Amino acid sequence: MTLDEIRDKILHIADQTIKYARDLNIPAAEAYVYNLSNTNLTDNKGKIDSRDGLTQGIGLRVAIGKQVGFASCTGFEKETIKSTLKHAHSIAKVSPENPMFNGFVAGTNVAKEGILDPEILQLDPDSMIETCNLMSQEIDLSDRRIVSISYGVNFSFGGYAVATTEGCLASSLITTYAANSFSVVTEADDRKTAGDFVQGREIKSVEGISSNGLKKALNSLGSKAFGGSEDLPTVWEPRESAAFLEFSFINCVSGSSYVEKSNPWGDKLDQQVAVKELTLIDDGQHPESDSGRAIDAEGSPKQTTTIINDGILKTFLFDKMFGEAADKATTGNASRGGFFGGIPYENVPNVGPNKLLIREVGKNLDQQISEIDKGILITGTPIGLFTANQITGDFSITTNDAFLIEKGEVVHPLKNISIAGNYFETLNDMRTIGSDREDSGWPIDAPAITYNKHTISD
Amino acid sequence: MENENILDLLHKAVEKGENLGVNFIEARYDDLNLTTINYTNEIIKQSSSLSRKGIGIMAYYQGTPGYSYTPELTLEGVKEATIRAAKLAKSTDSRNKIKLDFDSIPAIKEKIEVKVKKHPKDFEFADKLDMLKRGVTAIKEQLEVTTTIGLYGEIYGEKYLVNSEGTELYWVPLMVDIRMGGVVISEGKQSQSFTGWGASTGLEFFEEKETIPEITGTNAGTYCKEQLDAVAAPSGKTKTLVSPQMGGVVVHESFGHLSEADFVVTGQSPIADRVGEELGSEHVTIIDEGVSPYGGLYLPYDDQGIKTGRTVLLEKGILKGYLHNRGTAKKMNSELTGNSRAINFMFNPIVRMKNTYFEKGDLTFEEAVEHVNTGVYAVDMSGGQVGLDGNFMFNCSRGYLIENGEVTKPIKNTALSGNILELLKYVEGGTKEVTIKTGYFGGCGKNGQNGLPVGFGGPDMIMDKVLIGGAQ
Repeated sequence: MTLDEIRDKILHIADQTIKYARDLNIPAAEAYVYNLSNTNLTDNKGKIDSRDGLTQGIGLRVAIGKQVGFASCTGFEKETIKSTLKHAHSIAKVSPENPMFNGFVAGTNVAKEGILDPEILQLDPDSMIETCNLMSQEIDLSDRRIVSISYGVNFSFGGYAVATTEGCLASSLITTYAANSFSVVTEADDRKTAGDFVQGREIKSVEGISSNGLKKALNSLGSKAFGGSEDLPTVWEPRESAAFLEFSFINCVSGSSYVEKSNPWGDKLDQQVAVKELTLIDDGQHPESDSGRAIDAEGSPKQTTTIINDGILKTFLFDKMFGEAADKATTGNASRGGFFGGIPYENVPNVGPNKLLIREVGKNLDQQISEIDKGILITGTPIGLFTANQITGDFSITTNDAFLIEKGEVVHPLKNISIAGNYFETLNDMRTIGSDREDSGWPIDAPAITYNKHTISD
Repeated sequence: MENENILDLLHKAVEKGENLGVNFIEARYDDLNLTTINYTNEIIKQSSSLSRKGIGIMAYYQGTPGYSYTPELTLEGVKEATIRAAKLAKSTDSRNKIKLDFDSIPAIKEKIEVKVKKHPKDFEFADKLDMLKRGVTAIKEQLEVTTTIGLYGEIYGEKYLVNSEGTELYWVPLMVDIRMGGVVISEGKQSQSFTGWGASTGLEFFEEKETIPEITGTNAGTYCKEQLDAVAAPSGKTKTLVSPQMGGVVVHESFGHLSEADFVVTGQSPIADRVGEELGSEHVTIIDEGVSPYGGLYLPYDDQGIKTGRTVLLEKGILKGYLHNRGTAKKMNSELTGNSRAINFMFNPIVRMKNTYFEKGDLTFEEAVEHVNTGVYAVDMSGGQVGLDGNFMFNCSRGYLIENGEVTKPIKNTALSGNILELLKYVEGGTKEVTIKTGYFGGCGKNGQNGLPVGFGGPDMIMDKVLIGGAQ
């Protein structure tokens, strides 16, 4: 099946589903049709696991005025779709009114589609094995410090379509490719891990992935205790910088938490929330990002939104319902599935970021390190980021992937340290925002960033 | 679809796979129904009723697995999935260095149905919503909140398994759950709470003394109120009394995952090849169990059709074994433990935990608090993370100071962290009462299979040298 044939198929199913809804005298309905073929292979130190399959189903919202019901089913079988519509209708009948709900997306309005790579449809298990062979050829396993190297390859293709009784009929297609390598190394009582990856909407070269990850892990061996507790500047590599900011921004930029009054930035519109060098954009039209799509998960066109401009909070992100509840328009940020993934058609739309981008400003990582008299370089994603208090902004996290910086030089790796502070304070205490933004694998990409002060202890 | 038709389809898949030259086929069918209600600020923010139905085929070729799944419940769809699974197994065999073949065992033909008083399928959506409304009313009776949250979740359905040995297995998973929470943002003060749990039973669970919605709501309100005047926890390494739910999560996330044999056979686990070693104090015994006398998750069989048993992982501090699927058990010359689980038909079974808990000690609660004397009582957690090396960090969302041998003031959210392999050496005792918690919400995540229901618990455990992250 070609990508065009997939598009025709999902649009047809979506359209048919709305016709079934009309046949069943359902006053208002929305069909979200999802069809994705996925293939995955992992090699954990020579232990191979592989999986493929077709994830296919429909999420159906039915409304009676402001009463809304949702049900979903796997597959596209006609009678199953009809019974699911009836089920959603029955839930709507007994649901209390949702005062925020004002109908489904009306009319068809699409933005630009991101890159699609038809070559991904031609990949097979043999090509995945070949990719693993390429990655493993870069590794010299005679180094006795290596505990294990693992590899992974994943590709998928398909798309989704949205149709509503209000006249929306639109779709967006997906092609994705990802490969990764992860190294575990040890020396004496020191055990370190590191990895590298490529991902995107096209087939990517895997050259350098495994050797980069291994090199990074080996360089972290020989760590020493920090010894004590001290307030110090911290310098974050671009990917770790993104991970660090991810958990504070997810809630703070959300229009749903703003409407529900659980957003700590709820009263900060047009106020300074970060240093003036910080500009944060949500890019739903990034052609190389998985989120660069024609429509969001309820059929609105995706767009690019400036959330923080020169440190001033300008807007939150909205889907249709929460946007209207805040007297704003949707920003094309309806998503399904949530931060931890999940099956999109099994979820109603909620507000989620597309691709958050921190605008690049000044110096790269090496330049930032050179300006530190004494500080800490963070080179791996700390654990505990999920435990940050999203209301107060307080965080305390630990990492086994950090180095001591003295007089502008990286001195030695550190054993496990904890890093504590407050997100809202630290956003106003950034020393340098870098010039070297990277694809992080998180819903946010950031350059290297230096903060003036965090509490470091072990 | 009638049961006989499903069994016939699964047998056809086994037959097709064997004709393709693979050594063994497992064919699974799931028909699961999931209902969730998110009742935030007294409106239904999200409600859903999901039907998740499909077939998954696992093919084994010379100890190399390949898995494929399909939502198409037709002979053509199932045969196509079987062909793909066999192709994956055969194509990847050349690179596979860790062959996990397994010995044949006698076929099982069993049908397990659970009898409950109030099966959720027999009750209306409105009945379930009403329980949340009752809980929210109870929250609001405790304090003026900015946001109220009520969550209801249920899962039930059918699972079938047929394999090349002739096993035909049928059982019915079931889980219900209610959570309540509150958020206060007012006049410079901020606090939040979230509490509740679930059970592998019917809705009668919410008529029990501790789990009626009014009690869960009252607790959520009370905990939120306490947080408004909470004090900062002392920073540094502190003697800590860890509640069953907190200790259960620590033992699951930090130690349980290290004991999963797929992680052990590759040598990646830091406790690989260490059976017989002393990893903890004499007060530490860790169990993983499918059907436990302490409650929790009801899991009679795993997704390879192996009856779940009681596995002693650590006994009085000594490492006794690991958690296995059929392949890792054979590879490591171990007993079958029934730990091969898949979250749904879209995933292959992998080694997962069931109910993982610390075994009971011999102290009363009062004796345990007195033993701590000065420290922290860590009760509830909200989120956490662990590393491959045993390092962990959990957010203690509800806790109290222990001063002069008594539980006193509530503490602010704080991080608890450490390394489980060091921490187990500093366990100084446990109380006599074991509680296992489970639920629809949360669950365990591994290899993209997130939210798998598990049970975790123990008694209140005394642990020394827990690193408290300080005030948050």
